[in-house]
Amino acid sequence: MKNIEFNDKSAQKIYDSYFRRIRRTISVLAKSDKEDVLMEFNSHIYEGLQNEAEGGEVEKLLKLTQGLGDPEEVLKPLVAEKKLQQATRTFNPMHIFQAIFLNIKSGIVYSVFAILYICLFSFGILMFLKFTNPDETGLFLKNGEFVALGALKTSDPAITEVLGNWFVPVMFFSALVLYIIITLILKLTRKKKEE
Amino acid sequence: MNSEFVQKWQSQVKKGTLAFILLNILKDNEFYGYELMEQVRKFTTIEIAEGTLYPLMNRLKKEGLVTSKWVEQESGIPRKYYQLTETGVATLIEMRVYWQNLETSIQKLIK
Repeated sequence: MKNIEFNDKSAQKIYDSYFRRIRRTISVLAKSDKEDVLMEFNSHIYEGLQNEAEGGEVEKLLKLTQGLGDPEEVLKPLVAEKKLQQATRTFNPMHIFQAIFLNIKSGIVYSVFAILYICLFSFGILMFLKFTNPDETGLFLKNGEFVALGALKTSDPAITEVLGNWFVPVMFFSALVLYIIITLILKLTRKKKEE
Repeated sequence: MNSEFVQKWQSQVKKGTLAFILLNILKDNEFYGYELMEQVRKFTTIEIAEGTLYPLMNRLKKEGLVTSKWVEQESGIPRKYYQLTETGVATLIEMRVYWQNLETSIQKLIK
């Protein structure tokens, strides 16, 4: 993006700070999407400065940035939407995680995704805990009935951990299946939305 | 008069019609962002944060109703021109029919 240069130092400061706010708001987007948004806002300001007859640089610029609105507010729907597009294209867990939390406001479906995703992360943490604290981590049963899946401190001798060395592979496999299911449902709901 | 209710209602109407207004403006001409905003201002009294125009254009693009292209300028700061697609034109025609019907009904009601 080619920056607009101002003669007035205060105008330059306002411009720089406005673009810093845009950059911060869109920091999670892919590089090409970022550039597109920046260029579009830059073009709007540049054309506005050329068309506005009255006032000095500062006045004109303030009028334009106020007209555009707060980047944090006006760009929110765009960031959420673009992130979702990127997430379902790439299968990258980080993108999916960001997309779900950016879209949580737009419906209960995404809250469900968020819960599933938290499950996924806790499975990962449990695998780690099994190495550091093997006796208190696992699938716990009492007389054949389910007590807990996770980390448990208990003095009850009837409660036993049943998976042992199988715990890590089982959790790993469950996490993998959960991950594939989340991503597939995410893709499906998006398709439905587009139809 | 419950002015708060009226204000909320107006903001809903604006939100709901902005896409229709933009598609109508783009019907016969292509425009770049700032020009598009000026057109909105010229034809309507809608006051919106102009920044919201860009996410909306992005949505219309994703829906396949408009396309956009960057056009280099002498200034070195390119313009992004928006244009209706064929789907966009067909969609707009459908929306116009709906609008006309709605208008007729409302005119009958408020007579």
